[in-house]
Amino acid sequence: MSAVIKFFTRTQGHNKINFVDWISYGYLILGFFIIFLPVFWLLLNSVKSQFLLQKLDTNILPMDYERVARATVFGPEGKEIFILKDLPDWVLYWNDLTEDEKLQHDQTSFLKKYNGKEYYVLRTHFGLVSNYAKELILNKKLPDWLIRYPSMFPDAKKEYEPTIFFKDLNSEEVRLLSEFLGIKPYKPNGFTSQILVSAINADTNEVEEYSVNRLNTNKATINARLISNPQGGIVKIPSEQIMVNKTLRPSWINYTDPLTNNVRGMSFNAIKCLNNSVFVTIVATIITVLINSMAAFALSKYRFNGQIIFFIIILATLMVPASVLIVGIFKMVAVTGLAGTLWGVIIPGAATPTGVFMLRQYMLTIPDELLEAARMDAASEWSIYWRIVFPLALPAIAVLGILSIIWRWNDLILPMIAVSTTKAAYTIQLCLLDFQGEYVAQEHYRLAMTVVSLIPTTLVFVFLQRYITTGIATTGMK
Amino acid sequence: MANLELIDLRKSYDKLEVIHGINLQVTDGEFCVLVGPSGCGKSTLLRMIAGLEAISEGSIIIDGKKVNNISAANRGLAMVFQSYALYPHMSVRQNLAFGLENLKMKKNEIEERIQQAAKLLRMEEYLKRRPGQLSGGQRQRVAIGRAIVREPSIYLFDEPLSNLDAELRVATRVELKALHERLGNTMIYVTHDQVEAMTMADKIVVLNEGLIEQVGAPLELYNKPANEFVAGFIGSPRMNFFDIDMLPESIKQLAPNHASRLGVRPEHFDLKGKIILPLKVNNVEQLGSDSFLYGKTNKGQKISIKLNNQTQIKAEDDIIASFSLENSHWFNNSGIRI
Ligand SMILES: Nc1ncnc2c1ncn2[C@@H]1O[C@H](COP(=O)(O)OP(=O)(O)OP(=O)(O)O)[C@@H](O)[C@H]1O
Ligand SMILES: [Mg+2]
Repeated sequence: MSAVIKFFTRTQGHNKINFVDWISYGYLILGFFIIFLPVFWLLLNSVKSQFLLQKLDTNILPMDYERVARATVFGPEGKEIFILKDLPDWVLYWNDLTEDEKLQHDQTSFLKKYNGKEYYVLRTHFGLVSNYAKELILNKKLPDWLIRYPSMFPDAKKEYEPTIFFKDLNSEEVRLLSEFLGIKPYKPNGFTSQILVSAINADTNEVEEYSVNRLNTNKATINARLISNPQGGIVKIPSEQIMVNKTLRPSWINYTDPLTNNVRGMSFNAIKCLNNSVFVTIVATIITVLINSMAAFALSKYRFNGQIIFFIIILATLMVPASVLIVGIFKMVAVTGLAGTLWGVIIPGAATPTGVFMLRQYMLTIPDELLEAARMDAASEWSIYWRIVFPLALPAIAVLGILSIIWRWNDLILPMIAVSTTKAAYTIQLCLLDFQGEYVAQEHYRLAMTVVSLIPTTLVFVFLQRYITTGIATTGMK
Repeated sequence: MANLELIDLRKSYDKLEVIHGINLQVTDGEFCVLVGPSGCGKSTLLRMIAGLEAISEGSIIIDGKKVNNISAANRGLAMVFQSYALYPHMSVRQNLAFGLENLKMKKNEIEERIQQAAKLLRMEEYLKRRPGQLSGGQRQRVAIGRAIVREPSIYLFDEPLSNLDAELRVATRVELKALHERLGNTMIYVTHDQVEAMTMADKIVVLNEGLIEQVGAPLELYNKPANEFVAGFIGSPRMNFFDIDMLPESIKQLAPNHASRLGVRPEHFDLKGKIILPLKVNNVEQLGSDSFLYGKTNKGQKISIKLNNQTQIKAEDDIIASFSLENSHWFNNSGIRI
C-alpha cells in the first residue's frame, strides 16, 4: 500500500512539488477522467433499474426513492387508509407496465402471499376482481346478467336485484361480487405509489416517516401522511424539513436475467451471443496468427521470384478502405456457402495485411544464421518455422494476437455481412445492436450486456498490455 | 570419417564470379585450414561445402559421392558459425538436442550424447541456462558442442574464435586442436589469422580472390612459399621484398636468371652474416625478448628486421644488415618463386 502511495506521489527529482508536477498530475487526472467518465457512466447506468432508465434519471448512482403504496380499502367499516411497504417495483408500477411486461410476472401467485385488506387492495390493483368474480358466477351457476350488470345503464340496473343471491354466499364471496358489481358499502379499492420521506413530527418532536405523493421542492409545504398513523389525514410539512429516503439500489437483474436466459419475450439469447463471440474471437485469432506469421516467414526469409510483387500487393490492400470491400465479401461469403455460419465471419478476415507487414518487419531482424544453423541441424522448413522463427517472433505475434482479439470481439461489419440473417450465429455486437427488443424496451439489459461485452477486451488489455508496449516498441508499429 | 573433394568449384552471384574454380582434396581426419585476406571467398567456399549456398559450377564429393544436390540437412556435416548462431529461446540442453530431435533420435540416446559433449567441453553446470546468460567463451563451447553431438563426418568452422579476446582465443585454439586429436574427424577451418592457421593445421589452403594460391603443410608454406602472395601472407611481420634493380651490385650478382624480386623474412636478418645490406634505421621497437628495426636501404626501399635479443641500435643510426642465401627467396616477373 505504501508503495502505491509512493508511486502516485512521486515528484520530479526533488522532494518539493513544483509547477511541473502540478501540470503533470493535472494532465494525468484530466486525461483519466476524459477517458474513463463515459465508462463510469456506462457502468453505473447499467445497474439502474428499468424504471429509472425510462425516467431518464440523471443521478450518478443508481439511487432510487424508497417507495411505498398508499392503499384505500372500502368496506362495511367505511374507508380505511393504510400503507403497504416493501413491494417490488413491478407491483408498484403495475398499471404502467405494457401487456408484454405484465406477462413476465406472475401476479396471481404474488397475490396469494397476502390476505385481508392487503389482499383486497392488491386484487383490485392487479385488475383481478372481474376475473375472479366471473369465475365465481360461473362456479355458483348464478345468472349471466350478473356479468353484464356493471356495464348497464342505471335505468336498466333498476330491473335487477343482485343482492338476492348473497344469502347463498360466504362473506368473502359477497365482498368479491360486491366489489365487482359496485354495490355499497363496497367500491373499487385505491392504490397509489408514494415516496417515503422523513420529517419531524410537529406533535411529538420526533423524526418519523411520512409518505408523500410527489416531491416538489418549489412549494413551501408538502402534503404528507404519517406512516405510523395513515388514517390521521394529511399534514402540511415545510419543504425544507423533508428528508428524502434515497437508497442505493443496484438492479443486478439487468445482468442476471439475460445471463441466465431468464427474460421472457426477449428477442435473443445473450449466452449464445457471447459463446459465438468467444468462438469467433479465439478461432479467428489462432488462424490469423498462423496464416500471417507463415506468410511473413516466407516473405522475410525466402528468396523467390515475384517476392517484391507479392509484398507490394499485400501492402496495397492496406490502402483499400474496408467499406469498399463489403459487397465483395458478401458475395464471396454467399457463393462459398459460408453465409449464416460463424466460419463466414472467421475466414474472410483471417489474413490481414497489417499483420503480415508487422510480422515480416519483425522477422527480418531474426538473423539468417539462426535458420542456417537449424538447416545444418537437419531441421525441416516446417520445424524451422515452428521451433525457431515463431518463438523468436513471439513479441510481434503477441501484439498481433492482442490486436486480433480486440478487432474480432468489437467487429460489427463482418458479422453483419455474414450472419445477419441467422439469429443463431449472432455475435455479441450484433446482439447489442438488435437489442431494441421487438415489443419491450430493454435498454437496461442492453446497457448491462454492453458492459459484459467490454470485459474480455479489458482483461486482454490488463494482462497483456506488457506485450503490446514491448512489442510496439520493438516492431515500431501500432 | 570422410574424404572431401572439390572439383573446379565455382560460385557466381548474379553475373559476378567470386570463386573461380577450386580444386582441393581433404583426406580423412585432416585438419584443413582455409586462410586468406578478407573477402577472398573463404566463407562462401565453406558455406558451399555445408550446402547453405548453391553451387554455380563444379562439384563437391564427399566419400566418393557427389553431394551437389543433397540438402544441408542430409549431408551429415556440422558447422560452427562465427556468431555462434545459438537459438536464443532455448536452453543450452535444448540447443544441443535440437539437431538430434530432428533426426528422430531416441530420448535416452540424445541425453547420453549431451552428457558426453557436456563433459568433454566442461559445460555441465550451465546446461539449463539460455545462451543470453553465458559468456562469450561459454557460448563458443556450446556452439562447438552442438556440432559434436551430431557426430558429423566433417566439421566446418567459420572463424569460430574471432569474437573471443586474445587470451581466450589462445586457450580455445589449444582445446580445439586437442579435440581434433581426440575425435580424429575431418575438420575444415576458416580463419584469416595466420597464427591459428600455422598452429592448428595439418594442411593450409591459402586463398586469394577466389583462387587457391598454395596448398601445403604449415612449414612447407613458410619455407617454400609458391609465390609472392603466399610468402607475404604467411609470416609476421611480412617478408621484405626488394626490387633487384635497387639492390647493391654485390647482391645483384647472386640472383638467378629471370629473377626480378628478392624476398627475405625479417627474422632472417642478422648483423654479422655474409651478404650485407647497408641501411638507415628510422624506428626501433624493443619488446624485451625481440627487437624490431624499421628502416630504408640506400636506394630508399623499406625494410624491417627482427632481432631476437635486445639492442643498442637507435633511430637514425646507419647499420649494415646481413642475411644468408638459403633463407632468401627469388621471385620472377609474375611473382612465382624461382
Ligand atoms: N550474397 C552475396 N551477394 C553478392 N556477393 C557476395 C554475397 N556474399 C558474399 N559476396 C561476395 O563474395 C566475396 C567473398 O565473400 P566471403 O564472405 O566468402 O568472404 P570471406 O573470405 O569470408 O571474408 P571475411 O574474412 O571478411 O569473412 C566477397 O567479395 C563478397 O562481397
Ligand atoms: Mg567470412
